[in-house]
Amino acid sequence: MIFKRRFGWKLRDYPIAYKLTVTYVLLTVIPLLLLVYVSYTQYARSVEEQIGEYMPRFLYQANADIEKHIDELTRLPDMLFNSEDVLTILRRETYDRRSALNRDQYAMNSYLARTYTSGRNADVMGVFVLSNGRLFYSAKAGFKEDDWNAKLGDYIGGVKTTGSQARVVLPDEIDVSLDTDVPYVFIHKPISDNDNRRNLGTMMIAVDLSFIDDIVRNFEKNERAELWVMASTGKIIYHTNHHKIGAIDEEKIRYPTLNGSFRTSASDPAKLVSVNQSPERGWILVHSIPLKDLTERTDLVRNVTVFVIIGIILVTSFIAILLSYSMTRPLKKLSSLMKSVERGDFQVDLQVRSGDEVGTLARSFNSMISTIRELIQQNYQIEIRQKEAELYALQSQINPHFMYNTLETIGMAVEEGETEQVVDMVTLLGRMLRFSVSNQSKSVAIAEEVQHVKDYLTIQKFRFEDRVHFEIVQMMDDEDYHTLYTPKFILQPIVENSIKYGLETRKALEIYLSVSQEFGARSGKRDIVFRVRDNGPGISGERMEELEQSLKKISFEGRNAHFGLINVNARIVMMHGADYGLQLHSIVGKGTEVIIRIPMTRGETIANADD
Amino acid sequence: MFRIFAIFLAAALLTTACDSSTSKGYELIYSMEPESSAEAKPPAETSGPPARYQVAFVPKVGNDYFMYAAEGAREAAEDLGIDLLYREPASADAELQIEIVEELIERQVDLIALSANDPDKLVPILRRAMEEGIEVVTWDGDTQAEGRRFFVNMVDPEVLGRHLLDTLALTMGEEGKFAIMTSSFSAANNNEWLKWIKVQQQQYYPDLELVTTVTTDDVTERAYEAAKQLLADYPELDGIIGNSSVAPPVAAMAVKEAGKLGRVKVVGLSNPNLMKEHLLDGSAQMSTLWSPKKLGYLTIQLANDLLSGKLPVDGREIDGVGNIRVNGDMVIMGEPLDFTAENVGQYDF
Repeated sequence: MIFKRRFGWKLRDYPIAYKLTVTYVLLTVIPLLLLVYVSYTQYARSVEEQIGEYMPRFLYQANADIEKHIDELTRLPDMLFNSEDVLTILRRETYDRRSALNRDQYAMNSYLARTYTSGRNADVMGVFVLSNGRLFYSAKAGFKEDDWNAKLGDYIGGVKTTGSQARVVLPDEIDVSLDTDVPYVFIHKPISDNDNRRNLGTMMIAVDLSFIDDIVRNFEKNERAELWVMASTGKIIYHTNHHKIGAIDEEKIRYPTLNGSFRTSASDPAKLVSVNQSPERGWILVHSIPLKDLTERTDLVRNVTVFVIIGIILVTSFIAILLSYSMTRPLKKLSSLMKSVERGDFQVDLQVRSGDEVGTLARSFNSMISTIRELIQQNYQIEIRQKEAELYALQSQINPHFMYNTLETIGMAVEEGETEQVVDMVTLLGRMLRFSVSNQSKSVAIAEEVQHVKDYLTIQKFRFEDRVHFEIVQMMDDEDYHTLYTPKFILQPIVENSIKYGLETRKALEIYLSVSQEFGARSGKRDIVFRVRDNGPGISGERMEELEQSLKKISFEGRNAHFGLINVNARIVMMHGADYGLQLHSIVGKGTEVIIRIPMTRGETIANADD
Repeated sequence: MFRIFAIFLAAALLTTACDSSTSKGYELIYSMEPESSAEAKPPAETSGPPARYQVAFVPKVGNDYFMYAAEGAREAAEDLGIDLLYREPASADAELQIEIVEELIERQVDLIALSANDPDKLVPILRRAMEEGIEVVTWDGDTQAEGRRFFVNMVDPEVLGRHLLDTLALTMGEEGKFAIMTSSFSAANNNEWLKWIKVQQQQYYPDLELVTTVTTDDVTERAYEAAKQLLADYPELDGIIGNSSVAPPVAAMAVKEAGKLGRVKVVGLSNPNLMKEHLLDGSAQMSTLWSPKKLGYLTIQLANDLLSGKLPVDGREIDGVGNIRVNGDMVIMGEPLDFTAENVGQYDF
């Protein structure tokens, strides 16, 4: 949430890769981790609660067993009353002879041994009867202290006996201790003579508490679990860890319940503690186990899950990053390529092979760039051709030969006094120069173009007189003739060629030019067709092939012999497409026909296209 | 960007790893304690010291036996914190006991423990006491069942009756004449024992002959006279059973005085203290009884339980008494004790 606030309003400004990654984390990683976390904690909790629920029941049972066992042990003193002899001895107060006392001692001790310490009661470690200043005893384990009988007597003398109830005395309440390692307690019971309503003495039975081990080990096998029994004061009577017997459980007062279970983190590590307090004696049986041991198996599951999740996260993160990069990398490349295109470099190619939207975009970009490149190329070429054509036309008119020949012809005419002819020629020359220089547009009306070539031919006719004949036939109506347009300078180069090659071989050259409207098979429309026919030498097959190849290429090949033809053809193809252009028909020795085919173009279209 | 991503990852892992660190101290998971028991557990403290029960303890008559019973009753009253009223009739007379009960009803005691001199005569007045809200139990001598809640019997009457005859048969060698001295023919418990003595005789001892049964009214003087008369009336007499505590000592004394020591056997129910002398000098062979102190003690214990709403339960161990048996509305304290010259010194009642 914190992150969102920090960059929330700026999110859209961040790179796509960043957004994709953040989205991935928000949508995948966090829910996944949350799911794992919640399910793990819930599972662990339910395990704890399950144990927390059944353990108190076990403890209740175990505590009842312990209570029952202790009850049985507290009834042990009653066995004294089974023997009349024992009662007789106990009721005896004075002896007149030492031997009588010793006889009673012997009888009593052997009775105690028979009844309590030998065999039948495995839990009894020793039994001590103090009666009228006499001490009878039978014990499996001795005391550590040498003066134990005096101390035991002191202890019993110090205890106020109320009623004849048996009492459990913890070892540390007495100054003497048995020389043994096993946990034990004393059962202290006043011996009362019910018939005489008198106290006969006191009995102390030391009992081994190991039976608790047997009871609790039945349901708890875990070594790390601790079980202890404590009195209601918190004093530990029995502990699976025997060193703690006699200590006081300091935490007992803080236990939230004495009949149930709870989780505690007061000690380290955290533990699950179950307790049960016996109703009569108030003994508290406590079972404590580290939570870690309970959830051991769960922890394995958790660790495995966490590692798998981390693995999945790493792998999917890697994939996510890779994916976002594979998406953004072409975009980045595209933007950098666009920058270089912006700077004017059109020689770029975006190498993306994928079929998705990015690939489509890249292909569109590539085709757009190549189209732009072609368009630029084309316009550029057209411009060059146009300029070349204009230059060519100018050159051919301002050609020193042409000028010289023309001027010489004019000069001769002046000499011969053919004034009318001179005026005509000067007028024609002037009009030709004006046509070439004045009009800057690429297209002119058909009439003007034809007029220009007619002027040219007329000048040549003046010069060569009978050697040149020409005929111009207009095969369309006048309106079209004046409103339809044609590229400029397309006829003059053809005608010039005819005159150049024709006069070399023929005495009399005939040139025929027709302008017509014909249906074109290739364009499927009515086109304008110029036919220039001569009776020149014709073009050999070999040469014809070469020429047709050059025409197809529509490329600039420098100025060769057929520069004129190629230039005209290239300009028409560039402006109107491959459906139009030049066609050559020639028979060697008979002549050549050049057919120029252009679409019908009105002035306004041209004007528009021209901009 | 990777930094933030890493923070995300680390934070998520952190929350997964240290899951339980948030709980503090003790967190209860499950409690077996019933909701109210925590409050109800120490009820005695909250209600303050309860009013002391007033219990009346009425014997048949004032003799040694009942004196010891009263001693046991006082001990129990002291142990339990009960006010004990001891009312003894001047003689073993049902009428006198009726007067005593009337007085106790007036005093509004909580419970009357009575050893009835007559099983029938006392029933109406005891019923009245019960109607007044006073609990009635009988001990030692019973009344009809409708006159009391339960009867505290010392021993099983069948066991005792048969045992008494057995002890006599043993000392007499299973043959000869014998007489019985009982308290009165109206005392229910004595009659019951008598019945079983006779049953035992008919069943096992055909050579024993019961010559007569005399009454003593539980008064020593009367018993003494009766014993002397018995020895005079039946010179062939071989044995005497004393069926109430005053009888065996006076019988023994009479035998001694008649110079028939050892020839006329004396057994019966009596206190060891009364019998000690006679057992030791051979004028009496065996005495059988229970501890009257214990009986008094048990009666008051059970009276206290009854006032607390608890009826006696079979097999229950009563502190300072032992296990009791309950047979219908009769409580049986235990087995009879036999006193002989050897062990009589051990007992003090």
